[in-house]
Amino acid sequence: MTNLTTVSFARGTAPVGDTAVFEIFIKTTPERLWEAITDPEMRAKYSFGVETHSDWTVGSTYLAGIPGAVDIATGENVVVDPPRLLVQTFDALWSDQVRSQATTRVTWEIEQVGDSCRLTVVHDQLSAGANAELYGGWPMILSGLKTLLETGELLTTPGSLMYATPRPDGKEPPS
Amino acid sequence: MVTYLREVDAVFRALADPTRRDLLDALFVQDGQTLTALEERFPMTRFGVMKHLKILEEAGLVVTRKRGREKLHFLNPVPIRLIHDRWVSKYAASWASALAELKTQLEDTP
Repeated sequence: MTNLTTVSFARGTAPVGDTAVFEIFIKTTPERLWEAITDPEMRAKYSFGVETHSDWTVGSTYLAGIPGAVDIATGENVVVDPPRLLVQTFDALWSDQVRSQATTRVTWEIEQVGDSCRLTVVHDQLSAGANAELYGGWPMILSGLKTLLETGELLTTPGSLMYATPRPDGKEPPS
Repeated sequence: MVTYLREVDAVFRALADPTRRDLLDALFVQDGQTLTALEERFPMTRFGVMKHLKILEEAGLVVTRKRGREKLHFLNPVPIRLIHDRWVSKYAASWASALAELKTQLEDTP
């Protein structure tokens, strides 16, 4: 097998194709899941404390960040079909390194399966050697989303609310 | 209780086999491979690779997407993140990640 010791997501050296896929089952309804994705306050509870604001119409823009403090991401809502499908362009804004990256695309697909929903997040149109930070946050975000919808609680993993005020660990959010 | 409890047995069962861990490694290095591409990397029959991929899919560790006529296999790290958040998160993630980083650095140093 290929030697994996030089590959590290943490150091952004993990090779990537043009597509990364993240899937999770959540015991909830499609409507409630859609609300959790599009409501700024709910979104912040599982997205590092970051609110996402938009009017969620086709062709509208969205802005994720802490108002007045830090911008995290922006883009256009290309397809808005509640509560099934949301396709967005994605421009990362949280650091100089990610700001220099090309525009990518994020697709949220919701499919009801029995008493649960299958949520698939496809982050694609990644350029060769794209910074792994662009898509590396999805597992933690989706884990927090599942925890929120199934238990009403917030994920306490260190870093999971790094931009929130107040932060659970008592530290100041990065600016 | 979260639906996670239903799925966790399947994740550990899938990860318990060295060939299946190798398949995940292969997708980690190059995500989105076809069965044919994966089959070429492993000294076993197409049926054998299919059988292992099915177990990984049932555990949610591999997700497939159609692209044209091709069926591509992607590594889905989310179930492993759920296991991480169950045990590591509340207590010692910063310690654990610091120790993991130390191990990586020491082992990477020639």
